[in-house]
Formats: sequence, structure tokens, C-alpha cells
Amino acid sequence: MKINDVITLPSMPLQSPTFPRGPYKFFNREYLIINYRTDPDAIREHLPEPLMPVGDTVAVQWLDLPDGEGFGAYSATAQVIPCTLDGLPCNFVSQMYVDNSPPLAAGREIWGYPMKYGKAKLNVIGDTLTGTLDYAGQRIANGTMVYKHDAGQQRLAGTNHTYAKETEMLARTQITLKVIPDIDGTPAIAQLVAINFENIVVKGAWTGAARLSLIPAVNCPLADLPVREVLGGMQIVSDLTLPYGRVVHDYLAK
Amino acid sequence: MKAEQILKLPSMPAASPSYPMGPYRFVNREYMIITYETDKDLLREAVPEPLEPNPDGHVLYEWIRMPDSSGFGDYCESGVVIPCLYKGEPINFTAQMYLDDEPPISAGREIWGFPKKFAHPKLEVCSDTLTGTLNYAGQMVAMGTMAFKHQASPGGVEAMAKAMTKTQCNLKIIPDVDGTPKICQLVAYNLIDITIKGSWLSPARLHLIPHVNAPAADLPIKRIVGGKHFIGDLTLPHGRVLHDYLKS
Repeated sequence: MKINDVITLPSMPLQSPTFPRGPYKFFNREYLIINYRTDPDAIREHLPEPLMPVGDTVAVQWLDLPDGEGFGAYSATAQVIPCTLDGLPCNFVSQMYVDNSPPLAAGREIWGYPMKYGKAKLNVIGDTLTGTLDYAGQRIANGTMVYKHDAGQQRLAGTNHTYAKETEMLARTQITLKVIPDIDGTPAIAQLVAINFENIVVKGAWTGAARLSLIPAVNCPLADLPVREVLGGMQIVSDLTLPYGRVVHDYLAK
Repeated sequence: MKAEQILKLPSMPAASPSYPMGPYRFVNREYMIITYETDKDLLREAVPEPLEPNPDGHVLYEWIRMPDSSGFGDYCESGVVIPCLYKGEPINFTAQMYLDDEPPISAGREIWGFPKKFAHPKLEVCSDTLTGTLNYAGQMVAMGTMAFKHQASPGGVEAMAKAMTKTQCNLKIIPDVDGTPKICQLVAYNLIDITIKGSWLSPARLHLIPHVNAPAADLPIKRIVGGKHFIGDLTLPHGRVLHDYLKS
């Protein structure tokens, strides 16, 4: 391959790049989001400076991604910590587990999404919206939510389904800590990266009672932010686009 | 988390880094390497300039079992290595790699630019046959078989240990957050502290099945040259930049 072609490759390997160029559009991206109260000191420990904590609430999310352009069909689990950067509200994505290598590699290498390989699942089982996460053969997380309990009330109330609140929530700035070593083991990239979803269309959203169980595991430490009180669950079905991001803090800049 | 702690992180995520700092020690690392001859024009396409493919058109198809790897655990790997020349010196270029464990995938890609993807390789002795298989996205894409320890390799374990010190290289590509290339380098490294415990040559066969996302068969098999089987301990250290595409 010619040198001029090498620099146009979107990713490794040369013969079949793991991921193509973005942006990446997702269809029928479904979320189970469980918000819970945790230990504020643990939040402080998990947030990289200069991000500032906001309260004691965090979320564990399950994502079913049946149609991700360039990536295929897969599932993910994420831990998200609401915070501020220079006073602006954002969400720090602290841990993420997926079962598919293109989004795992693209996530880490482009934006610094903190992805590891784990078996996440989001399914409706009988009457229960059920999220599970297995890591290295062990069950680590289990989230359950009632299934569309408020659908009837939404209809009776004649709720105007513009989903403005949910759209705003999905549009909130996400922050990741991108760390890529250099070939000699020193850091080549150490940045806070900001990402905003685009073209968000919420197709349905429901809230309801939820429970969350996190089991301590060293390589999948969701339980390091322990569950003190579950505040509730939210189910959202959406289409949206994941564009490139922007550097908002460079730890290597002098 | 303080800025000083962030600069000391070996990898993402900060909450539990995928991989620790190197170097990485491998104990009882077992290889099956089947050498074959392919189409020279296709080989030229698969090798990035300024590397030159070997004039014989040889390709090495490998399986490697790694039961005890510091920082990474227990896993298996399979892939395509192309003997090349860099400024006239012999060097091995890793063209494709498939493995079943995330920390070495992430460390491999992010530190050295190993072109790794997640798949399910296996290397095992099935009755009289050393057998390698590779499944990608649920489909078999490679099957290699080798007779079991028919002949000790010439020169014994010392010659094999020396051969393992050969310089190896990868094409490391890491995008920037805006999609432009941030890192685009040929990266070289040499294995160190190598002890080979056994080394054998035997007849072998290899079958590659075309698959778009695991395209080992894009370098078709014209003739099998032979099979090598060996086991040893070794250390994978950090490396060095051979060629920077963003500076040339």
C-alpha cells in the first residue's frame, strides 16, 4: 500500500479497518437508565479534575443498539456521573462495557469512551425490562424496571409527545477521559473530550419503579459507586447520531 | 482524581485500567506457525510502504496460546504475519490479529498498533493433530492442522530463541477526536528474555475461508511451505517508532 493511502485509513488493520469513518448514526437505540444515590466521596474520587461533582446521584445505563452504522448490532452498559466543567452541566462517562470490537476500538481510540469487553443484555423478560451485565463469566450488574407502567397515564393525560425533556437529557454534553500511551509507555494522549449527540429523535419514553444490584468485581468495578437508594428508572427508544468530539482539557499541555 | 494521577494512568478507564504498565511477561506461550506462498501482487497491496514484502511471497499464518500473560490473563490469538524488508533489513510485519481477550486487544492496538480484533481462536491438540481454528462473528474463517512433534527443529531451542529476536513491526493508527489521524506510524519492537522449551517442524495444512471483516483469505494459499510448533517464555517490552507518516 502506498504512503498516501496509508494516511487515509480510518483505523487498523490496513486490510480491513476495524471501524470506518464517522459520524455514526444509530437507529432504535434503546436505553434503560437507573438513577441512584451513592457515596459523594466515591464520586469525587472517580471524577477527573477539573470536573466538579453535582450532588450524590449517578446512573447505570443499559443500551440496546440493534442498528449502529459501521458497528452492527450490540449492547452496552455504562456508568455515568453528572458533573460540571467550568460551570457547564455535563455527564462524565466513567465505565462502559460492550460486546463488539468495532465500537469498542472506535470508542476508545476516537473519543476515549472507557470501554471494556463485557456481555451486556437489555431484554423484556415477561413483565420486566431487564438489564444484565456479565464480565469474565460472572454476573456483575442486574437492573430491572416495570414495563411501560405510565403509558396509559401518558395517553389519558393527552401528553404532548414532543419528548422535549428526554431529548434535552440525551443532548447533554458527555465527557470522556481519553488516555492513549505512546510506544515507549509514556502518555501520548491525555485529554478530556466532549461529545454531543446530534439529530436526536425520541420515539418513546417511560418512567417507573426500578431496582439495581451491583456486585463487586475488580475489573468491572461498577459497585465502587455503591447503591444507597434507587431513585427510579427510565426507558427511552431513540434515533441519534454520534459525531466526532472536541478536546476540552489537555493534561499534556504545558 | 488529580491531574498527576491521570498522567500516571496506564490506560482507560480510570476506574479500572484495561491494562497495567509494561513490560509484559508470557509464560508457556505456545505457537503454531504455518508458512505458505501467496500471490505477490496481493502481498504488495497488504504491506504499507516503506516496507517491502519478502521476494518469495511467503506469509506466516499463526496461532498462539497464552495461558499465563502478566497483566492480560489467559487467552488465544491467531493472525497473519508477513516477512518484509525495511531499508534492506529483514523485519516481520503483523497484518491481521484476532483474539478473545480485551486487555491485550486494547494494549496491543493502543501501545504498539497491533491490528487486533475480537474473535474466537483456538489452539489445541486433538488426538494426533495440533489444530488451530478461528471463528469470527460466529463463522469459521481459518483452520490449520499440523502433525504432532514429528521432528525437532534444526538447531534446537537455541536456534529458535535466536530467530524469535527478529525485529517485528506494526502500522499504528490512532485517530484524533475530530477524525483526523493523530498517530500514524510504523512501530518496531523486539521480544526479550526468550527461553524456548521445545521446538518442532512437521507437515501442515491450512484452510482460509473468505470473510470481509477477517480477510485472511485475501492472501490466498498457493503452496504450503511447512509448519512450526514451539513453546517458550518471553517478554514483550515497549517499542520505537520506525517511520512517522505524519512527518514525511
